[in-house]
Amino acid sequence: MPHLGIILATYLGACVEWVEAFTIVLAVALSIGWASAATAAGAALLVLAGMTLTGTALLAYIPDFAWVQGIIAAFLILFGLRWLAKAIARGAGLKPLHDEVAQFNAVRANKGLSDHHAAWLIAFNGTLLEGLEVWLIVVALGVQSHHALPVAGAAIAALLTVIAVGALLHKPLARVPENALKFIVGGALLAFGSFWMLQALGYVWPLGDGALPALAAFYLLGGLGLIALLRRRVGVAA
Amino acid sequence: MKALFKTLFGSARTIAVAAGAVFLAVLALHGPVPGLAGAVFPAAMLAGAAYLARY
Repeated sequence: MPHLGIILATYLGACVEWVEAFTIVLAVALSIGWASAATAAGAALLVLAGMTLTGTALLAYIPDFAWVQGIIAAFLILFGLRWLAKAIARGAGLKPLHDEVAQFNAVRANKGLSDHHAAWLIAFNGTLLEGLEVWLIVVALGVQSHHALPVAGAAIAALLTVIAVGALLHKPLARVPENALKFIVGGALLAFGSFWMLQALGYVWPLGDGALPALAAFYLLGGLGLIALLRRRVGVAA
Repeated sequence: MKALFKTLFGSARTIAVAAGAVFLAVLALHGPVPGLAGAVFPAAMLAGAAYLARY
């Protein structure tokens, strides 16, 4: 059961990042053409695939797993905490929601797009940076759960989903409920990170793997409570 | 490079909140009731998320 949660969290998290990467590639493609923009995105994806293979192989062959588990958990905690906090802030109205159309317009306004080489680099760097977060999720969850292949498969499935929908629409995927996805994935990553961090520190979870859904529920319900509380405070302040 | 660092580790505040929660968990684990760590850590994390959401 935890494996299904890992695969789902990876798929949803990867969807969020690939949507953001697609927006950048689409904006660049309108200047230098789809072929060049796709080459840049493809090159970045190749780098990410190489990093995933190397990272997974290296971490899987380290014999003392306890400290590796601690490091992986630390990355998941940092990542999950950031996403959950951001989603809470946006949900409560403390920060504006992420706007794919505004992001698309910002990239389109970049003067570098007039130069083919610079535009290619914008698409390459954009895909690489957004993909780094997917890489982190895939390596951390894949290695720790010993299910690297299905986890990587979930990230690839998310990529194919975004490409298919993007190719169909030919515009930024602004209707993806990005904040809700970030909230769910943030809570899930924080649950996995908390579980493995305390385990690495020598704590024995009373419910075993059963503590994972309990942790996820705690973070998600707690997050919803915080959104309601902060929203009320914002309303009072206004 | 700055973007890469932020992607991998987040802001200094995020790192401080996570480190604080781990510190509290270690304290609980070495205290008289080690079982408390399982409650202290998630509670500290959620409080940290609330703090980060505000700043």
